[in-house]
This record gives sequence, structure tokens and C-alpha cells, in this order.
Amino acid sequence: MSDERTTARRVGEGDILAELEAEVAHELEEQRPPAGGPAYQVVAALVTLGVGLAGAVLAQGYGLGSLARPGPGLWPMVVSVVVVVLSLALLLVGRGLTDSERFSRASALPLVGVATFVALGLLIPTLGFEIPAFALCVVWLRFLGGESWRSTIAVSLGTVAAFYALFLYGLRIPLPHLF
Amino acid sequence: MRKQTLSLAAVATGAALALSACGGVSTTTGGDDGGAYPSGSVEMYVGADPGGSSDLISRQIAGGLSDELGETFSVLNRSGSNGALAAAEVQQAEPDGSIISIQNASLFAITPLAVAEDEVTSIDDFDVVGGVSRDDYVLVTNSENPWTSIDDLKGAGKKLTYGTTGVGTGAQLACALTYESGDIDSEAVPFDGGAPALTALLGNQVDTACLQTGEAIENIENGKLTALSVYAPERIDFLPDVPTATEQGLDVEVYQYRFMTTPKGTPQDVKDTIWEGMQATFETEDYQAFNEQNSLTPLEVPGDEVVEMLESDRERYASLVEEYGIDLGDAS
Amino acid sequence: MDAFLDGFSVVTQPGNLLYCLIGVLIGMLIGVLPGLGPAATMAILLPIVVTVDPVAAVIMLAGIYYGAQYGGTITSVLLRLPGEASSVVTVFDGFALAKQGKAGTALGIAAIGSFVGATVSIVALSLTAPIVAGWALDFGPAEYAALALLGVLLIATIGSGHPVKALIAASVGLLLATVGRDSFNNSQRFTFDSLQLADGLDFVVVAMGLFGVGEILYNLEERHGKVHVPAAVANVWPSRTELRQAAPAIGRGSALGFFLGVLPGGGAVMASLAAYATEKRVSKTPERFGRGAIEGVAAPETANNAAATSSFIPLLTLGIPANASMGMLFAALLVLGITPGPQLLEERPDLFWGVVNSMYIGNLLLLVLSLPLVGIFVRILRVRPAILAPITALITILGVYTINNSVFDIFVMIVFGVLGYLMKKVGFEPGPMVLAFVLGALLENNVRRALLIFEGDPTGFVTRPISGTILALFVLAAVLPIVQAVRRRRTATPHPNTQREDSLR
Repeated sequence: MSDERTTARRVGEGDILAELEAEVAHELEEQRPPAGGPAYQVVAALVTLGVGLAGAVLAQGYGLGSLARPGPGLWPMVVSVVVVVLSLALLLVGRGLTDSERFSRASALPLVGVATFVALGLLIPTLGFEIPAFALCVVWLRFLGGESWRSTIAVSLGTVAAFYALFLYGLRIPLPHLF
Repeated sequence: MRKQTLSLAAVATGAALALSACGGVSTTTGGDDGGAYPSGSVEMYVGADPGGSSDLISRQIAGGLSDELGETFSVLNRSGSNGALAAAEVQQAEPDGSIISIQNASLFAITPLAVAEDEVTSIDDFDVVGGVSRDDYVLVTNSENPWTSIDDLKGAGKKLTYGTTGVGTGAQLACALTYESGDIDSEAVPFDGGAPALTALLGNQVDTACLQTGEAIENIENGKLTALSVYAPERIDFLPDVPTATEQGLDVEVYQYRFMTTPKGTPQDVKDTIWEGMQATFETEDYQAFNEQNSLTPLEVPGDEVVEMLESDRERYASLVEEYGIDLGDAS
Repeated sequence: MDAFLDGFSVVTQPGNLLYCLIGVLIGMLIGVLPGLGPAATMAILLPIVVTVDPVAAVIMLAGIYYGAQYGGTITSVLLRLPGEASSVVTVFDGFALAKQGKAGTALGIAAIGSFVGATVSIVALSLTAPIVAGWALDFGPAEYAALALLGVLLIATIGSGHPVKALIAASVGLLLATVGRDSFNNSQRFTFDSLQLADGLDFVVVAMGLFGVGEILYNLEERHGKVHVPAAVANVWPSRTELRQAAPAIGRGSALGFFLGVLPGGGAVMASLAAYATEKRVSKTPERFGRGAIEGVAAPETANNAAATSSFIPLLTLGIPANASMGMLFAALLVLGITPGPQLLEERPDLFWGVVNSMYIGNLLLLVLSLPLVGIFVRILRVRPAILAPITALITILGVYTINNSVFDIFVMIVFGVLGYLMKKVGFEPGPMVLAFVLGALLENNVRRALLIFEGDPTGFVTRPISGTILALFVLAAVLPIVQAVRRRRTATPHPNTQREDSLR
């Protein structure tokens, strides 16, 4: 256990709060997947830089107005410039950061998750929520969660029934429904 | 009381769901074919968030119609674009009276002056059943300021700021017309609705503001605010001592009113039933107390009169805006 | 005073009591479950909650927030697994105590400390909130702009995560807030001619995406099916000696928590860290910390509850949410048609005092419930995360649909969910972005209003006493971390354990 190691550290005159944060970081570190390299940081910074530049260009088109009569573009322009400056700063200082997480095979799971979300959104208006919701449960339990078929079916049925009761009868919220 | 209306609405929605528990994908259902109107629950869209006067009025009428006509009238909030989104719901609905809406005059008479042409909602796309009530605007200032009339503002000797309840609202139009036609140096400061504008005025952050009477009356009565003018055709019952703008020599008449609409082409007997139900509601003590409490003046006139009012108001506002070169928003 | 007492009659209505109970139970539950935080839970439940009476809704959401502070303790102590970010430091001494067979004592002290901290904070809240609300009329557009700016900055720099990244996230949040119709002259910004975007992005949808869906997706990637073996819980009643030992820590934790909670950007996480650090510093025997010092449990747990409570002050009096969870409450109030701000106390005393007083009741409930329920919560931890995942996913999707009965919202939420997930992967916290998004319109509109009032003269922001003071604080808050960082770099001695420091800061 790391407790012994961390407390064995010299409790010096230094900033206890900072030390504590390092300790907390260390605690959390053990549960985290390996950090992504500098490429992650650079790509992230470039993306935000792009957002800032696009924002600035569009804001320019909305009309900046004057300080006495600020136009619709003035504020987005100011914010976009801040985004650009900060992104450039991140490009400079961010390469050594270790706060990113490498994508791995497990990253395919969220991708499947997103796909089920999108499918649910597409199907609800035409099919009602019951069948797509059941399908989502099955995918998540059986294929993403590795549950047995028996518990998958049981939990899925129970969940959909519970939602039916909760939304349509308990809370009386209109949801598109088939039955 | 608000809680009651809410739970009533909840019950109504619930009943609608129970009714709709068969046949195809459904959310809530309208009346099915055949039989006298209303044969099922009715949805009333309101183009504002819960709690505002538009919402409260819709809920009050919905409650009355439910009582009078025996089916549930449930209120659905679809706020945004000064009610244009709710209007679109009604416009696209089947013209059978299962989806109706109490709409605001400002959407048809004032908003067109403030938005691009393709965003304009036209009254021609609806059938107007009848009027509901009028909501008057009042020009107020913090009572720490020395002004008591529009004339005092003219002599204020500085650039005055006025808070409005948003862009393209009657409050903005009323204030803008006052300052422009009175030739007073001014700057509009838009707020997001009446409450923040009122707060700013109470803190004397802005010099004056145009508010709906119901929003300001409490603070006028307790002396924190001074009412300088109302914009009704004649003095209003709730503020009998406050002169109208016309009395003070400015040709500014701006007011908000609300009326019941149905989709274009709704059968006459359906509209008649709704109108009868509304008139019965107007008679109830509960409804009249509601009007009193919210400083609403009844405007219980037939639909064709409402349409005429809308047409003439729109033209009048448009020509005034043009005459004084007022900038209500992007498209004007 | 009458309104204060009326508040109690509001809370004690059976319906509201029930919602308070439901709120604190849900709060404890999600506090126990690692993964979903209170802000995410509030985001997910918001569409459902707003269908009930506003007062009940807010009482329940508030319950979720402070309930989570109790729940987070349980897993920290028993599993060395902080259920909640604000209970991370509790892990050090809490788990050490558990290993010594004193898990019950740690939980007992934590519950008592939590209750005391929260109660002290509520009393202070009851006394100070009306005073703060009284000043509120002096707050004009310039002051609100300055306050919101300070809030965004503090949130970005104080929270976990690299400050530059947090500031970027916050700025992008501000940019997102400008999507839709400009409220000053109706022109469309960043809408790309989409009617659905014309009214801007719905805050609830964005928050549900970034917090809710983002966390769900992120947790999906984490390995499932870790078997948790909780430590045994024996006697939960601390001895008199232990109480005496913990009492000063509880006292200091209450005060510290209260003050840190009021600050914009403050809140439970920050307070628990600071309280732990303080105890370690004032202790005559700092070497006991990390090895089962009872103060090391008492102080952070007291402080996080005190802060959770006092962070309601800026929201309820000024309409400025101090942290992400308060941001969700802010959104809930807006959805319910209530604008939080100076007028709230006057216009909706039932809501104001109802919510404040519900916290007395809620904390009492938590004190009574948390200890007997420890066993049940430990059992819930054995429910496999794989089973909970689709249920939360469904609540989120169906919930977001019901806000506006709009499928478009589902897709907006998914987009922000993916964004939230990617942000987490590359080390950006979604919190600053969400909060900046909430404050964005407030900030822009008040800056513009102020400029209109000042006739374009920006010195008006500095010369008005209140906004000038706030802006001075802003500069201080901006400069201080830089100075500290420089100093720290100079004094830092190379040490294998500290080189990862950057990853949290």
C-alpha cells in the first residue's frame, strides 16, 4: 500500500497544500490508465486553437460595434482571442503534461456506447421508447458489460418496465411510446 | 395557487396519457374523429417559460376550459423567440381543436419589426377565437429620482438610460417611442425579462424602465418606484393617478394583449365551443380575481375584432418606428 | 424572522419532507458509488425533477448535493476508494483507521463532523444571506460582470486540472454561451441557420452531455467488475477521547469550510483539502496523519459539508453559482421559471427559506440514516457497475428528451457527451466549461449593459467601488497562482513522488 510510502515523506516547511495535492494525484494515479504522450497535448491545443480562430473569424462577421454600442460580435471576438492566446500557451507549456490518457482497445467500448445512444435517438420518434431502450440495455449489459444472458434479459425487462411506470404513470411525462 | 394549477396540469397530462395508451406511437393524444368537440384531451401550447404572465394566463384559462367543457386542457410550455416556436406548433397541428394556444399580440405586431423577414409569424396562419386580456406597460423610475412626469425627463439634462424587458418587446417599443418622440437623449439597456429590469431599477442602476404593470405595481404602491406614464388608450384601473402618454402630449400607445388561436381551418363549431367555454370562464369569480391580482384588463372581444386590432397596431407601430428611426433589432 | 419560521412549515409539509428524504438518499447513494458525481446526477435527474413543485424540486436537488458529501465518506473509509472528489483526502486516515479495525469510529466521527459542519454553516447562512441579499440592489451590471468574471477565473484556477487547460475550457464555455440569438439586437450568432440553435444551446442539455454522458462513456472504458471487499464495520460510536481529539478539528473545519464555500469557485473539494492541510499544520504530532489520525477524517468531512452548505449563499442571494453543482441548481431554478438573484428572498421567501431550512432537516436525516444504512450501501457497492450503466444511460437520454420534447436535444447531448469524454481523455476538466457556460450570458450581457450605461467608458468598471474591489480580487486571484508556482519551482527539491504534481494542479 502506498500509505506507508507517502507518509514516510518528509513533512517539511514547504507548502502542505501542494504536497497534499501531489499525494492525492498519486493516489488517483494508480487507478488511471497510462498517460498519452505529447502528441495528445499538441492535438488538443491545436483543436482549441482552431476553435478560437474560427470563433474570431465568425465574430468579425457579426459586427464588432464600438465600446459605447457593443455589436453582437464584440464579446465573441474577445473570448475567441483569449482562447487563441491560451491555446498557444498550451502549445508551449503543455508538451510535458501527463494528464491525458492513452486510447486503448477499451476505448472501443465508449464508441459502441455512443452508437447505441444515436440509435436510440433516431428510433424513439418512430418506434416509441420501449423496444430501442430494451435493445440498448441488452447491448450494454451483454456486450459492453459481459453479463450473462439470463441477467441481461431480466435486468433489461425490469429496467424498461420501471421506466415505463416511472415516466408515463409516476411522473406523467409524455414520452413517445408504442404500447 | 400555482401549485394547484401545476398539479392540475400534471393530472391532465396523466389523463391524456391514459387515453393514448393504444394505437401507434403517441405522446399525448387529441380528440379522435367523430363526436362533439372536445372528444379528447386538448393541448395548449404557451410560448413562454412557466411562471410568467403568459404562462399563468394560459393555465388559468386551461383550468376554466377543463371545468366548463369536461375534458382536460393541458398547458405545454414551448418557450423561445417570443412565442414563435409555440406558434409553429399550432400552425402545423391538425385543425381539429386538439392543439390550441393563447398567443401574444407582440409576436404579430412588434416582433416583425425586430426580426428577419423569414422569421415573422403571421396572424393569417391562424384562426383567432377571441380576446382574453390586456397587459399594460408603465414607465417607471426609482423614487429617489426627482422626476414625476415625462416632461421632467425632458429637463433631466443628461443622457437617460432605460431598461427594457428584452429586444422586440412592447416594453422596448413603448420606451423607445417615448424617448424618440419626446426628443430625449437616451440609451436602451435590454434585460432578460421583467424581473432583472425591475431589480436594476430598484438599485437605480438604470434611470427609467418600461415594465408590465403587474411587474411594477407592488413597488409603485409601496413608494419605491414612481410611475411616470402608462401607454394605454385611457388611464388604467390599477393606476388611476398615472396619466397616459397621450395625455402628456406624446402619441405613444403600446400594449400587450392575448387571445385564443387555433390552427387555420378549424371548424366553426369547434371554435364556438371554445369561445363559449372561455366566456363562461371569464364569468367566474376565480378568474376575475386572477385578473385583478395580475393587473390584467379584460379584453374579451370576438376573434375578428382581435385580428383588426392586430392589423392596425402592426401598421401603426411600423409607421411610428419608421418615423422616429427606431432600431428595435437586427432586421429593422 | 417570520419568513424563517414559515420556511420550516414549508419543509415539514409531507410532500417536501419526502422529496428531501429522496434527495439525501440519492445523494448518499451516488456519493457511495464511484463515478457519477453530484453535478452529473443533478444534471441527469433535472428533467424529471422539474415536473414537480419548484420548492420540492430544489429541496431535492439540494439534498443530492449535500447528501453526496456524506456518502462519499463511506467508500473512502471502507474501500480506499473516494466516492466523491471531496472525500479524497479522507482516504488517507480513514482507510488507515479501517485497517486498524476502527472503520466504525471513522464513519461515526465523519458523520458527526459532517452534521456539525453543515449545521454551523446553515446557521451562518441563515444569518448572513439576508444581509448579502440586502446589498444586492447595489449590484448593477458592472458589479455582476466583475463577479461573474471572478467566478469564471476562480473556477478555472482553483479546481483540479492544469490551469491553462481549465481556462481554455472555461473560455470555450463562454464562447458556447454566445450561440443563438443575441439578446441585444436579435442577430443570430454561430447558429449556421439552424432554427433549433436560434435560441441557443440549452444549458441543461449541455450539462447533461458534458457531465452525464461524458462520465457514462468514460466509465464504460474503465474496467468493469472490480470486486470490492469492504472492511468490516464494528461499533460506529466514537469514544469520548476520540471525540475530544476530533472536536477542535471539527470546529476549524466548520469555519474554514464555510468561508471557502462562499467563494466563487470554492466548494466542498477545495474545503476538504484545505481543512486537512490545516489540521496537519497545526497538529503537534503531524506524523500521525496518514496513519489513522482521527482529525484527518474529522476535518475534511466537516469542511466539505460546511462548504457544500455555504456555497448556496452566492447562488441564492446574487444568482451566481459558486461551483458546478450550484450551476445545476441555477439551471433548475431557471427551468422552473425562477430567476435566482437578489429578488429571490423577497419574492419567493417560501422557496428561499424552504430550501435553507430543508438543509437542517436533511442533515438531521443524514445523521440518523447514514450510520444504520452503512451496511446497505456496502451491499449496493457489490452491484456490478455493468448493471447500473445502462440504467443511468437511459435516464439520461429519456430525461433530456422530456425537457423540450425534442429529439434534437438528444443529439446535442450526445455531441457534448462525446466532447466531455474526449476532454477527460486529454486532461481537460468539463467543470469549468459547464460553469463558464452558465455564467456566459450573464457575463456578456452585463458587460454590454455596463458599457451602454457608461457610454462606452470602460474605466467605469474600476471606479465603481464594488466592481472595483471585485476586479482587484480578480487580479489578485490571477496573479497569486503564478507567484506561487514560481516560488514552488524555486524551492522544489527533486523527489520521485512529486514529479507528477503537475497532473493534478
